[in-house]
Amino acid sequence: MDSKNIPRGLKIFSHFGLPKPVGHTVKGDIHPAIIRLGLLFSEFRICGANARAIATLTAFKKVIQDYTTPAQSSLSRHLVTHLSPQITHLVAARPMSVTMGNAIRQLKLEISKMDFDMVEQEAKNSLCEKIDNYIRDRIIFADEVIQDLAGKKIKDGDIILAFARSSIVEKVLLRAHEEGKKFSVIVVDSPPLLEGCKALLTTLTNTSPNPIPCTYALLPALPSLLTEVTTVLLGAHALFSNGAVYSRAGTALVAMMAKGHGVPVVVCCETYKFSEGVMVDGFGKNELAPSKITRSTGDSINVTPSTNLEILNPLYDLTPPTFITAVVTEVGLIPPSSISSIPLALGKSTL
Amino acid sequence: MAPELRGSASSHRAVETLAAKLRRRQVVGSRAAALETVLVLRQVVSKARFSNLEQLVSIIRSAGRTLVEAQPKEHSVGNTVRKVLHHVREEYHTATRETTKPSFSIAKFVSQGQPRKQATGAARTEIKGILKDYDTSDPDAFAKMLKPVLMEAIQYVLDELETVYDNVAKNAKDHIHSDEIILTLGKSRTVEEFLITAAHNRNYTVIVAETALRKYEGREMAKSLSSAGISTFLVPDSSIFALMSRVNKVILGAHAILANGGMFAITGSQIAATAARAHSTPVVVCVGQFKITPLWNLYHEYGALDFGNPSDVLRFDEGNLVDKVDVVNPYYDYVRPELIDAFITNDGDHPPSSIYRLLKETYDDEDTEL
Repeated sequence: MDSKNIPRGLKIFSHFGLPKPVGHTVKGDIHPAIIRLGLLFSEFRICGANARAIATLTAFKKVIQDYTTPAQSSLSRHLVTHLSPQITHLVAARPMSVTMGNAIRQLKLEISKMDFDMVEQEAKNSLCEKIDNYIRDRIIFADEVIQDLAGKKIKDGDIILAFARSSIVEKVLLRAHEEGKKFSVIVVDSPPLLEGCKALLTTLTNTSPNPIPCTYALLPALPSLLTEVTTVLLGAHALFSNGAVYSRAGTALVAMMAKGHGVPVVVCCETYKFSEGVMVDGFGKNELAPSKITRSTGDSINVTPSTNLEILNPLYDLTPPTFITAVVTEVGLIPPSSISSIPLALGKSTL
Repeated sequence: MAPELRGSASSHRAVETLAAKLRRRQVVGSRAAALETVLVLRQVVSKARFSNLEQLVSIIRSAGRTLVEAQPKEHSVGNTVRKVLHHVREEYHTATRETTKPSFSIAKFVSQGQPRKQATGAARTEIKGILKDYDTSDPDAFAKMLKPVLMEAIQYVLDELETVYDNVAKNAKDHIHSDEIILTLGKSRTVEEFLITAAHNRNYTVIVAETALRKYEGREMAKSLSSAGISTFLVPDSSIFALMSRVNKVILGAHAILANGGMFAITGSQIAATAARAHSTPVVVCVGQFKITPLWNLYHEYGALDFGNPSDVLRFDEGNLVDKVDVVNPYYDYVRPELIDAFITNDGDHPPSSIYRLLKETYDDEDTEL
């Protein structure tokens, strides 16, 4: 963007990185599975930290299977350089999520630990198995444990508040319902993505034998509803070592209002979403939603950017640790101040 | 009952027409409602027949009661009636006595310094002698004598309402400094005038949160501000907290100001004010004084007195869900006085803690219940 033409005021947000056009141009030798994934990411068909991580790892399994080591080098050294342009292509489609970053870092670690003498096919199979184990242990099984732990916090007669759509919160609510608990859910949603609307409401109201009673409202209506809420369940995109939660835009407002009303805020998060490092506000790292995927409720006039008018749709924000009561992970229910001790609990020196 | 019947048929009709309009919500906006109320009251007073002050007061009061009952949530209607009553009583008392009606000494001390009291002082000296002696045999003489004074009182209220935007925006450039980032919510005409006036002298940026619950009226606000030359950002409400760390001031509009200094405002104001408090950002409310109401919010923790159309939230094309899901669309928010730092009104700037004093000066206690 030509910096001379931007009015002075708009420059302060220029580091947000306005969304780039869809990466239809393919630079270099990119595997078709990765091209397909890049398209799905940029169209926001695959949305959500867990979904993106699983999709990325599954695509990488295909890449690894189709890969052949060149004559002069070994798998453990060359595979990483082979994967780099694929990763760059994905990042160009949509900035990398913390979950993808952690998963890829783990994958690179496993690749470098590969035995030099192993036959190529065996090495590839072993890598694919490791990827499967990672998905199974850190995501699927972790989700099961979290559903149990968080489900214990839901009692009969509770009114649970959920914000936007988090895959893990959805699972927790469905599991609690299967166990026969009687509770109702308030789904609070917000533009630009309005994810809670179709997806979450449909799943919650389609449960059998009896549908979960649901109320739907948009974010500004939150203070009127909080007087009746018993617990707030939130999902996370990433968790930082100071206990701050990086999640969908609007989560910070929900947590702030809930804390003001004395309602406990419970964040459900798998440990693979932890990120070393500290973030203090939602400005340092954020992503803007491209205008074509923003949705609105009801009728509204459409606004187009002009000389003095710019439209910003930040997708994420940071909830300070003071607003959170507890974080549910597969290693237990912990207060946000103890996040930095998680690696110890997992038995590793690093994440 | 007699005073009501003495009001002529046409002024009754005017009251009924306005009451019907209010009931059907055809009058949109607090200022529009207040203006129409003043015009109707002017008609009522000019056609009224009375022989003493109490009869006049009860005529105005009954007209006011009809209007307020037609639309109890539009507080500016009741406020205007109370204001007219206050002015009527004041003008009457200054015309029939040497001194002004004894009021609270603190208020009197404060009012001595206000320019508007001095202006009516000039009128006082002329009329002082007139009402002392009038022909008691003519039943209408008293009314005829008092009418010009009353018309002037009502005209004063009308003038104040018409110049609300200009007066609120008068000191805009003192409140906004260069290179500031202001956050505002939805569409408020008062705030819009305030910001555009300040833009004549200052260069700053405005972030407008589109209010999802009011048909995205924030978008219209952003359009009009940007066409006035202010660099504007349009953001969804969800990012208010994320952007608050960069915002210098939050400027909001209000629907009504309550006696404790709290306010009813558009949905979303409470989360914006709470987020501002969490970041220690000042929250400033631009509002005309005709919105100050002698009302307390004792029974609702939330100000959702009014609910909007649920299809604005969940459209009918989500057919399956419409049956199974409750939809909530509150129209207003209640913001506690602790979250507000200042009210910028057409008659000066006031902190929420001195709203009670403004109430005492503007309205009479006996009018709180119309």
